[in-house]
Amino acid sequence: MATRRAFLAGMAAACLPAPTWADVGSPAFLAAGKHGNGFVLHGLSALGVSLFNIDLPARGHAAAAHPTQAIAVAFARRPGTFAVVLDCLTGRVRHQLTPPLGRQFNGHGAFSADGSLLMTSEVEAVGSAGRIGVWETATFTRIGEWDSGGIGPHDLKRLPGGRLVIANGGIQTDPFDRTKLNLPDMRPNLTLLSPSGEILDQVELAPELRQNSIRHLAVMPGGVAFAMQWEGDAADPVPQLGLWMPGAAPRLCPPAQSGAFAMRGYAGSIAVSSAGNLIGLTSAKAGAVMLFDTAGTPTATHHRADISGIANGAAGLIATDGQGAVWRVETDGLSLLSQTDVAWDNHLISLDFAG
Amino acid sequence: MLKYLLAAPYLAALFMTAPARADFPETVQQHILPGYAKLAATSADLAAAAQKSCDATALQPAFHAAFDAWLGVQHLHFGPVEADGLGLSIQFWPDPKGSGAKAQRSLLLGDPAALLPENFADQSVAARGLAGLERLLYPTKSLPADPCALIRATAHDLARVTDMINTAWIETYANTLLTAGDAGNTVFLTQSEVRQLLFTQVIAGLEFAQDQRLGRPLGSFDAPRPERAESIASGRSLINLQQSLLSLRDMAQTLTPDAPKTMAAFDRALGMMGKLQDPTFANVATIQGRLKTEIVQQSITALRDTALAELGPALGVSIGFNAADGD
Repeated sequence: MATRRAFLAGMAAACLPAPTWADVGSPAFLAAGKHGNGFVLHGLSALGVSLFNIDLPARGHAAAAHPTQAIAVAFARRPGTFAVVLDCLTGRVRHQLTPPLGRQFNGHGAFSADGSLLMTSEVEAVGSAGRIGVWETATFTRIGEWDSGGIGPHDLKRLPGGRLVIANGGIQTDPFDRTKLNLPDMRPNLTLLSPSGEILDQVELAPELRQNSIRHLAVMPGGVAFAMQWEGDAADPVPQLGLWMPGAAPRLCPPAQSGAFAMRGYAGSIAVSSAGNLIGLTSAKAGAVMLFDTAGTPTATHHRADISGIANGAAGLIATDGQGAVWRVETDGLSLLSQTDVAWDNHLISLDFAG
Repeated sequence: MLKYLLAAPYLAALFMTAPARADFPETVQQHILPGYAKLAATSADLAAAAQKSCDATALQPAFHAAFDAWLGVQHLHFGPVEADGLGLSIQFWPDPKGSGAKAQRSLLLGDPAALLPENFADQSVAARGLAGLERLLYPTKSLPADPCALIRATAHDLARVTDMINTAWIETYANTLLTAGDAGNTVFLTQSEVRQLLFTQVIAGLEFAQDQRLGRPLGSFDAPRPERAESIASGRSLINLQQSLLSLRDMAQTLTPDAPKTMAAFDRALGMMGKLQDPTFANVATIQGRLKTEIVQQSITALRDTALAELGPALGVSIGFNAADGD
């Protein structure tokens, strides 16, 4: 339900020529961060240089970028009651998105290929049943919602043909304090939705891995790579990476035995560089980035404290950390691209729409 | 065993005076480098002793000396020890699926060529190191074959790995920390990054003590799991906890002189442990024993909270922005 004010603001915005990403320096990535006591969203070049920055009202979790217009939607941390639509040229908040009563944003969102729709991962505040909010983007008005196909959806990514793949993390959380309520019985899944929200395919993990919460996704040819966070016994060696080509069963990709605990059971972000034959997973908890080839064979582990954001760009995989550094990630090691006094937050969002 | 407990020379460390200066270079010079040097030396002694004799009783003192030394650095999860799972190959614990025992059985019954030094490094990390040696030196049931060759191979491998780590620290990694923030150092971009890293090791070490060393045997009230305690066969469960706390205390003390509440909380927790009189946490299966062990665990939780509130700010750092967030 759009308020009158938001509607008018939307009309006003719609009358202006929409700035494109080129108007803001053609950033390759968006990254949220903390600067002093304030929170910011930066546009970064392919080499990690800041091209613009915008103040955020609170700590962000992830952002979604419009495919052509210089518009970013920044989502609050879970459980979130707001998202802001930012004009990356002026830095102004164009719209504030509020989920319907009894719903909470759950961290991520994705635009349709033409930019006309925004899909947001949401939960029912009580019970954490997953919903995908659907918003039209001329005025950012909510026009509908879909069943996410599971509990606690987190990341979602658009696949070719307008399909949407959703990581239903399986975790029911307390609506107020993020306490996890159902760890013994959690059942994460991957759900594939049609462009109109029907469930096309859905897969779960084997029973002994049901405490491996599927949380983040990266698109790759034919499907997705997914990253998991283990909620079971920390002493159990479990994979953090899986590959899913819809139509087939998911395939899990364990690390080498020597690296069985290198991620401390936790993967916070994931990215795929198909050109570089590289999948990168980060674990801020372990201060590690683990690399695999695109067949899922582990190839290297690099260490860097609080490394978390990772995304694919023209120069390959790039990662960000909580100390303000941006790194090029290669099998041989990490190489420093830039360093600032912004503590980079969880996710780095790629604006590379070619893939 | 009793003699070993009573000897407890490490308790002397408790009463050492604080160093005159304290910051991360002191941690490197006075805590980390001596710790790895001692681990390498005691491991070399153990390997040499194993060459002379395979008699379990004869090797046990050298085994304990190496294990004591390991607890001086076991909480350090960065640098050379992180490469290729070297830390896991020194001690693989916890091992809830018993993968170490299974892999060792294959080694005992399989092709002896696997025990040659050039091949042994490629064997399962679960089979190697101190946990592997403990199963051979303190067997809880009869072994399927003569363990002599495997004892020698495991001790030799432990000496090799610990020497590699020690050498890497001396030759390069100490300098990597000490030159933090200098042009050309792309591992540590600022000195503050090193302080944060070391602070994180202290906190993670306390969490390991709380969640694993004590949390595993404690299990739940309805289902205590004394059999899950660390190093039961060699009777080291409580010693490991005490020695690791002393090492963490030593590390914190080299980092800053400005954390008196943290030091007091260490002493309180160590005092509680000293009264436990339950060397392998077997008493967690009784209500009285469980209560006492839980009190120790709570003292470590309180210590962790104190360190987060005092030690972090004293060093000008906190747990990582993203690591603390979770997602």
